[in-house]
Amino acid sequence: MRLELRDITKSFGDKQVLKGISLAAEGGKAFGLLGRNGAGKTTSIRILMNVFPANSGEILFDGAPMDYSKVQFGYLPEERGLYPKKKIIDQLVYFAELKGMRHSDAVKSVDYWLERLGMSEYRSKRLDTLSKGNQQKIQLVTALAHNPQIVILDEPFSGLDPVNAMLLKDVVKEEIAKGKIVLFSSHQMNYIEEFCDSIAIINGGEVVLTGDLHDIKRNYPRNRLVVRSEQQEAIRKEFADKCTVEEDGALLITLTSSEEKQSVMKHLTDRYDIDEIKVFEPSLNDIFVEYAGQQE
Amino acid sequence: MGQFGKILKFELKNYFTNKVFVGVTVFLAVAIAVVMFFPRIMEGFQKEEGSTVTDTSRPVMLIAGENAEAVSQAFSEAFTNYEVKMADGNMEAVKEQIIAGEVECAFVMESLTAYTYYVNNLSMYDSNTVIADEVLQSIYRMSAMIEGGISAEEAGAILSVQMEHETMKLGKDQMENFFYTYIMIFALYMVILLYGQMVATNVATEKSSRAMEVLITSAKPASMMFGKVLASCLAGFIQLVVVFGTALICYNFNKAYLDETGVIASMFNMPIDLFVYMLIFFVLGFLIYAFMFGAVGSTASKLEDINTSVMPITMLFVVGFMVVMFSMTAGNVDTILMKVCSFIPFTSPMAMFTRIAMTTVPFYEIVISIILLIASVIGIGLLSAKIYRVGVLLYGTPPKLGAIIKAIRKA
Repeated sequence: MRLELRDITKSFGDKQVLKGISLAAEGGKAFGLLGRNGAGKTTSIRILMNVFPANSGEILFDGAPMDYSKVQFGYLPEERGLYPKKKIIDQLVYFAELKGMRHSDAVKSVDYWLERLGMSEYRSKRLDTLSKGNQQKIQLVTALAHNPQIVILDEPFSGLDPVNAMLLKDVVKEEIAKGKIVLFSSHQMNYIEEFCDSIAIINGGEVVLTGDLHDIKRNYPRNRLVVRSEQQEAIRKEFADKCTVEEDGALLITLTSSEEKQSVMKHLTDRYDIDEIKVFEPSLNDIFVEYAGQQE
Repeated sequence: MGQFGKILKFELKNYFTNKVFVGVTVFLAVAIAVVMFFPRIMEGFQKEEGSTVTDTSRPVMLIAGENAEAVSQAFSEAFTNYEVKMADGNMEAVKEQIIAGEVECAFVMESLTAYTYYVNNLSMYDSNTVIADEVLQSIYRMSAMIEGGISAEEAGAILSVQMEHETMKLGKDQMENFFYTYIMIFALYMVILLYGQMVATNVATEKSSRAMEVLITSAKPASMMFGKVLASCLAGFIQLVVVFGTALICYNFNKAYLDETGVIASMFNMPIDLFVYMLIFFVLGFLIYAFMFGAVGSTASKLEDINTSVMPITMLFVVGFMVVMFSMTAGNVDTILMKVCSFIPFTSPMAMFTRIAMTTVPFYEIVISIILLIASVIGIGLLSAKIYRVGVLLYGTPPKLGAIIKAIRKA
């Protein structure tokens, strides 16, 4: 399975919200959609899900134009909310039926997911009697119960306690393992780094960076070393102005070129008592701030 | 069918599990039943009490001044609802008695042709002076004729001569049709405003609870809109069937007690063709407004905004209602205004139905009106689904009409 967006544009009135979004996501992998507030993530997702059409551009599924009658989407919107006054089982079955499931299948699937998320005891309760985190787990069922090929999760981890976050991680990993396309949108970079193989950073309606996360990181100049040692002061003296102290207390040594790094590493390990030494790779957070931080 | 059917089922279930909806329906049915059984129950009570319903329960009317005795005799025959008495005190005492409520009214005769009528609160429907005038007039004429040499019997015969007449109606009997037309128009008014408001609130609730975010990605806006509106239409229809069905059953059960006036009988003896027209106009009228209410509901982002947003629709509807009601009560439903209104889709359900019921309308006019209405229902339905799709994703202040139209064109 391969999902591809090609040069999608969209304007609301005079305001151009998307200025040509192109990205590609593979089945069995998670794709991270990043961007600051108002960058155009939700609009891209809505166009992808055919809530409204794009002004121009194509959406391809396995190379052919997307057929919405065949491809199923599961969506956890950032703005959460279902029917607060309705019984949980009733509304979950209703949503699964709307996606084309038969009643008996819908009940079976919803029950499976309630069980999987540890929510079976709330089956016939009203939604508004649940805590916010539990309501979010209920909403997750609407995104998964109909077994969609494409799962879109917008900020899935916000509001979950660590135990529930763990549970959600497991569920997401299962979905990825089933070969589905999982699209993540989040501001919590650590989760994106943990799950996503590929990312796209959207800024001001444009994709400013997209590709495999490892490749992106490796493409950064590899001329910096991160060093942890008991003899920090001595190392600092030796490298003087090439050396800075990171927030977490590690030393960052900038070399004149990346070819030097092998010899410098050898020199350091020979001479000092080193706890840890590695080539510096930027975190996703750093990359995000670099690409999405400027302009607009 | 698929999606639409599921939405329809879900929304209908919402109505039938809504305690307020069920409560109101049951209350209305019971209220109607009580009204229908009332004459029977009353009769039962009266039989138990026997014929001792006394005369003292009648209000008192006092006569004073010139010829009081003769006048009070004549009045006690004319005012059978009153206990007519001679005043035995002075004027001040009479006035005090009236203010105190012991006496309802008093006639103080200045001569046989002039009097003053005293009453505490003058009711809108007080026709005592009219009756008194007639009685006094005939007394005066009688005595004048006798003075002129005509015998008392002859004079009596002249004064009480009756004209014979017969009415042949070639068109409709407005009197007979008035009541069910009135009830139908009123029911339509109530149901449209009530259910329209419900549809608008329903859409706005989904929007404000953000259930819309999932719904809009799960179902087609047109299915959502048509499902919701048809569910409300069915729910309203079932409610009316329950209420009027109860009325019909109770009517047949109590026919003997209710038929005296003829008014109630005329309501239930509606000709079948008129009943069919009523159904057509009712359903179409309901749909056209429900679609508009739904569309407006989708543009409101908070429930509080609903009332102001639906104002223009409500105004449009109330104006149509007023035109029809005034024409009906004025007895002339063939004015140019009514004719125009009976072709405009927003007013035709009420105006055309009233004209069909109360005058003779050429068949082709009815057909044109219905075709226009059906076309508008479909058009407004599709348009409202478009507004819905654009509207449900707009949050913040309700957009202006122009902005919505622009957004629909672009979408």
